[in-house]
Amino acid sequence: MAKRLLQGNQAIALAAVKAGLNFFAGYPITPASEILHELVNQKTIKVLQMEDEIASINTIIGASLAGAKSMTATSGPGFSLMQESIGHAHMMEVPLVIVNVQRVGPSTGMPTFPAQGDILQCKYGSHGDYFPIVFYPNSVAELYEFTFKAFNAAEESLSPVIILSDSYVGHLYETIEEADYPISKRTLAPLGTSNRHFTGLTHEGSIPETSDPEAHKKLMNHFKAKQKTVSGKYNSYEYIENKSSDTLLIAYGALSRAAYDLKENFAIYRPVRIFPIVEKLRDIAKKYKEIVVMEMNAGQYVNEVEGLLHRQVKRIPIMGGNIDLNEISTKLRRIKKKK
Amino acid sequence: MTKELTYLNYLKQDRLPHQWCPGCGNGIILKLSCLAMEKLNFPKKGTVMVSGIGCSGRSAGFFDLDSVHTAHGRALPVAEGIKLANEELNVMVISGDGDLFGIGGNHLLHASRRNTDITVICISNAIYGMTGGQCSPATEISSKTLTTPRGNVDTPVNVQAIVTAHNCFYARSTTYHFNHAMKCIFEALQHKGFSFVEIKSQCITNDGRRRGFKNSYEMLMSYKEDYKINNNTNALEHNEIGIIK
Repeated sequence: MAKRLLQGNQAIALAAVKAGLNFFAGYPITPASEILHELVNQKTIKVLQMEDEIASINTIIGASLAGAKSMTATSGPGFSLMQESIGHAHMMEVPLVIVNVQRVGPSTGMPTFPAQGDILQCKYGSHGDYFPIVFYPNSVAELYEFTFKAFNAAEESLSPVIILSDSYVGHLYETIEEADYPISKRTLAPLGTSNRHFTGLTHEGSIPETSDPEAHKKLMNHFKAKQKTVSGKYNSYEYIENKSSDTLLIAYGALSRAAYDLKENFAIYRPVRIFPIVEKLRDIAKKYKEIVVMEMNAGQYVNEVEGLLHRQVKRIPIMGGNIDLNEISTKLRRIKKKK
Repeated sequence: MTKELTYLNYLKQDRLPHQWCPGCGNGIILKLSCLAMEKLNFPKKGTVMVSGIGCSGRSAGFFDLDSVHTAHGRALPVAEGIKLANEELNVMVISGDGDLFGIGGNHLLHASRRNTDITVICISNAIYGMTGGQCSPATEISSKTLTTPRGNVDTPVNVQAIVTAHNCFYARSTTYHFNHAMKCIFEALQHKGFSFVEIKSQCITNDGRRRGFKNSYEMLMSYKEDYKINNNTNALEHNEIGIIK
């Protein structure tokens, strides 16, 4: 199999094309623009540069309903703009892939520096209840592989699937094998073949149902069940056991690469499917006295981990886009001392 | 013998009557759209209706076609995505002035610039009817609404200028001028490229009654008084209706 030196963002673009991408709409934004740049040179797909991220996501919603496998890519500010329509796509059951290459926020923040500040936004950013599937790979090879998985999960769950990345992994160059992964076929019939009505209103089939609480409960249960079934096929995580340590260190994305350097002293757990949270973590965590989540935000995923484990979890926030092993070690020592 | 109302085939008749207020203009525009599609023999499979949010946003669900009820203001990019993904489809948008000029104004600017081959029918009642009658981007100066109790001070959006600036099809009509409005939609549907039909329409419940109209008939008659057809111009005056290609 051909080996190739690829950038993280480029790997997403090339994998998407292999996974059957037909339609891409996006808006320039650092550090995600390379995905758009790579795709405009692909002859087999339609690419649109839109007026903003709201237009981008809505255009791919239309394109996906019309039968095209569709994707958009952005960073935090654009991802925030897309939130309303992400909820809308969940409500209308539209398969989409959304890439968010994170940078330091809030607001314009530090556009070229990596961060992991959009973790909770993935799950809670839109209003109302919805149940997204979110992957967060930590290498170029994994970005390539999980782009296929994201497209498959989107088709299987008929919902938007999010690939999280960060400006570190997104701009990283690594040599990877351009492997072929299985591709899930589209099951949703394209627009123009029937008389269905796709609506963001609570609905029963094609009929809007805005005053029946039971209809809404039924719809939510359907979404939840769908997410559980499909995400069950992608229980992706990495676990490096350490029998001599009583501490489990949890990290993901760019920061998990730094965590590898600490595997002599700590057990490491790295979720790749970050939402819905992989339940296997419950069994793994039982073996350790202390659980520490380190992440490049003020403490986001740690709350999800606590919610799963029902026990106190320590947090190490790494802020400002700089990954410094000394800082991490100092903070870990401090946690150890407090015990 | 009564004539069979074949245009009704374009509607989901089990969903009729529609839920709009008595006297609303939306039903007239639903009928106009069906008649125009029928005249052009649009196949039901192969035609897609898209709408935004608001009273007018509920239009799409009544058509016996595949239809999409988008988020507020986003009917145009969704319609563009549909058309560009499958250029064989006839793609129509029915939405309101608040949706298309207000929250979705940026998309109107760019959809017309891209000249995407879709037809937009704007039910322009110059009011946010569904939310109770607030001032809209199409509300006339000095008009009293829920949010402009002393009269609106802002200039309404000049949508004709936006659409024609990009050399796209623009037509204006009213719900009173039934045959003229029908002609506008009919021609818009045949236009290759972006076409925009603005139909002035009455909302008695949340607009007219606040402005002193007794019923929607009076509002319709005011369109008869206020608007004159001009078939020979490059730019319609404020009180004119017509087609600019």
